[in-house]
Amino acid sequence: MTANGRRPSRLTINADAQAMIDVARAEGIETVWDRLAAQEPQCGYCALGLSCRNCAMGPCRIDPFGEGPQKGVCGADADVIVARNLGRTIAAGSSSHSDHGRDILEVFRATARGETTGYRIADEAKLSRLAGELGITTEGRGTLEIAEAVADALYEDYGSRKESLALTGRAPEARRQLWEQLHITPRGIDREPVEMLHRTHMGVDNDYVNILLHGLRTSLADGWGGSMIATELSDIMFGTPTPVVSEVNLGVLEFDQVNIAMHGHNPLLSDVVVSAAADPELLELARSHGATGINVVGLCCTGNEMMMRRGVPIAGNHLMQELVMMTGALEAMVVDYQCIMPSVTDEAKCYHTQVISTSDKAKFPGATHISFDPARGIEVARQIVRLAVDVYPNRNPDRVRIPVDPVRMMAGFSVETILGALGGTPKPLVDAIASGDIRGAVAVVGCNNPKTPQDYGHVELTRRLIEHDILVLVTGCAAVANGKAGQMLPESAALAGPGLRAVCESLGIPPVLHMGSCVDNSRILVLAGALADALGVDIDQLPLAGAAPEWYSEKAVAIGAYVVASGVTTVLGVQPPIFGSPHVVELLAGGLDGVVGARFAVEPDPVQAALLIRRHIEAKRRGLGLPAFDVDAEPVGVAV
Amino acid sequence: MQSVFVNPELCIGCRQCEIACAVEHSTSQDPAAAFLERPVPRKRVHVEPGPTAATAFPNRCRHCDPAPCQQVCPTGAITRDDGLGIVVVDAGRCIGCAMCAVVCPFAVITFHPLAGGADDRVAVAVKCDGCRARVERGEIPACAESCKVGALVFGDVNDLVRADRLRASGVALAEAGADSARSTAGPVSTWRALEQATRDLAHQAPQGGAR
Repeated sequence: MTANGRRPSRLTINADAQAMIDVARAEGIETVWDRLAAQEPQCGYCALGLSCRNCAMGPCRIDPFGEGPQKGVCGADADVIVARNLGRTIAAGSSSHSDHGRDILEVFRATARGETTGYRIADEAKLSRLAGELGITTEGRGTLEIAEAVADALYEDYGSRKESLALTGRAPEARRQLWEQLHITPRGIDREPVEMLHRTHMGVDNDYVNILLHGLRTSLADGWGGSMIATELSDIMFGTPTPVVSEVNLGVLEFDQVNIAMHGHNPLLSDVVVSAAADPELLELARSHGATGINVVGLCCTGNEMMMRRGVPIAGNHLMQELVMMTGALEAMVVDYQCIMPSVTDEAKCYHTQVISTSDKAKFPGATHISFDPARGIEVARQIVRLAVDVYPNRNPDRVRIPVDPVRMMAGFSVETILGALGGTPKPLVDAIASGDIRGAVAVVGCNNPKTPQDYGHVELTRRLIEHDILVLVTGCAAVANGKAGQMLPESAALAGPGLRAVCESLGIPPVLHMGSCVDNSRILVLAGALADALGVDIDQLPLAGAAPEWYSEKAVAIGAYVVASGVTTVLGVQPPIFGSPHVVELLAGGLDGVVGARFAVEPDPVQAALLIRRHIEAKRRGLGLPAFDVDAEPVGVAV
Repeated sequence: MQSVFVNPELCIGCRQCEIACAVEHSTSQDPAAAFLERPVPRKRVHVEPGPTAATAFPNRCRHCDPAPCQQVCPTGAITRDDGLGIVVVDAGRCIGCAMCAVVCPFAVITFHPLAGGADDRVAVAVKCDGCRARVERGEIPACAESCKVGALVFGDVNDLVRADRLRASGVALAEAGADSARSTAGPVSTWRALEQATRDLAHQAPQGGAR
């Protein structure tokens, strides 16, 4: 069946997306759902992880039915091929987050040296804390001097001359010892993915268990390394997020303003663009073109970064990036990198929308490239905004369709904010968990995937968890999904079970806490570590779980791996390409529990996933000697 | 009677047969060069999605006898090679009327310009020719050779039907609890079940839109 034959209501749960899919079809504009349908049937070798193109003796494939070839030309069997492929996926995901972190580190250091415009040290207290953690003397030193020393220390973490990354010190002692015993302590942010590429070269690591263990180390170099550095330095430069109420969905676009969507991941550019959009000269230019203002909105993780620090509204998550242009009201889509579909320049051609690429490592044929240069940060931002303003007269008012009113959501729950709201220590949260008012906490994270109805997994799973008094922490596309569904306001506490509801109402917080972008999953690691320390246990003993109901990207695989390696069992809604090796599946979905105290599960149905997670949380409570009950034993579908 | 037999339950949708077929019917017969040829060489086997998730059917001419396409062809361009048991198209006599495609029970006749035809700018009927050249050299058809899971197999049709029957018995016995020799079929059934469960969510999600 083609996507064109499917009703929009089968593709997404959101009214704004449904309306725009109708527009795309009426106007003959191809979208991600059409391209998925055109790809079907998708290759089973690849879906099972059984194809290998790592060398020129191949490409090879293993017959999953067992009658055809069972080994590649080199002799690698299904276990080795699946493990090598998964290892490379983790390496790519880890590298993506870590390279994002490096870009921030570079600008941070340049800012410390006075070589940038438009950037500053916004959170000196956090800088001091981080310096202290890194063993850097702050006494008698100026802010910029400290910042440069911090930058130099963090650069060291990218290399290969260390035995462990600085920020792994935030993990509980027991967890760090476990990593040491397993030889999976991350030693260098760049080193581990490079070593993974080496190990998965033909004729290096031929033991699937050994490859997968290094996969965990590679992911830890992301979670407790590259991603965590990205989060920490973004907070120091742009401000540590505090609760802020803003708006979400396509209704945040304005009929009579120049609309600019910032799409991608890194806050380096978006932060200065928000500043440039308030420039009186550019506002005057916009008015001279008949617009009443300049409206900057976010898409995907850039949206999360801007909302939690500047209160900027979000137009949508991953699967909205094409549909936002169907409104006919978008003057510019400004992109940096990660998750930006190559198709956006094609759709932009159907409208007056300008796609503006800004990263020299991510170019888009058909886009206008304005190279981001931190030395001229604010000047580049003004140039981008001016280009968008100049496009406004090309807008065709007859094609403008902004389909819905926006929904309010609260964002900005950094670890500092959460602990601050609790009075400076995790104890009140620990007490609420111990009493059973809150059964546990679950991180619902990850992307959108056109294979599942957009946002259904995120929203349904989250709602069923909060209904049962489980606090939900969200990042990335999952956060935007829950925002659109109206589950992220203080008054959303009414959706929660009585215990969680009372806690949320007493603190004035939503039952679903926005913790940021996908690199900000590192905040969840820090919070988990703090909770474990408060209870004097390791992370894997806590009543926690992770879920990625609609994941699609390599980055999500790295996240899932570091969450599990940190001791948090994680449920995936979309199956990863590993099922060609029953041994790998058995290890990741079973045996790993005895190694790192956590494992993976796969459960597409969010209703069943919620049950599975609730059982897991009650079992962990029982393990801690906390009051626990039996979640009714319904069948759990095809979970592994 | 020799035939390419389809075991659709074994097809995992890799589409290697489509590529092998197009390369076999190219001028160069070289996978790296075939796609640069003009007119582009065309596949004659078509892998389409099956009725449930992660299933597929590699569809090709069944070389019927009597063949409906042959019976309706107004120019006599479609003939039967009784020796090989195949139905073939003479591109030089084809007028592209598509009557053969209209009556084909399997919808496997397409229309494209062909290299080496009378006029390589004019679309003519393109369908499986049984890899006649390969079979005459003692090789098996390109699609069956490329298939590593046994979804496309070449041989005496009754032998292949018997093999399929035995396989079906094995599945039936396995379902009844007996040991199956095909124990590694597990990965595929898990993959298909999870893909189907994912697809089923479309019918489970709220239809009115969340907001």
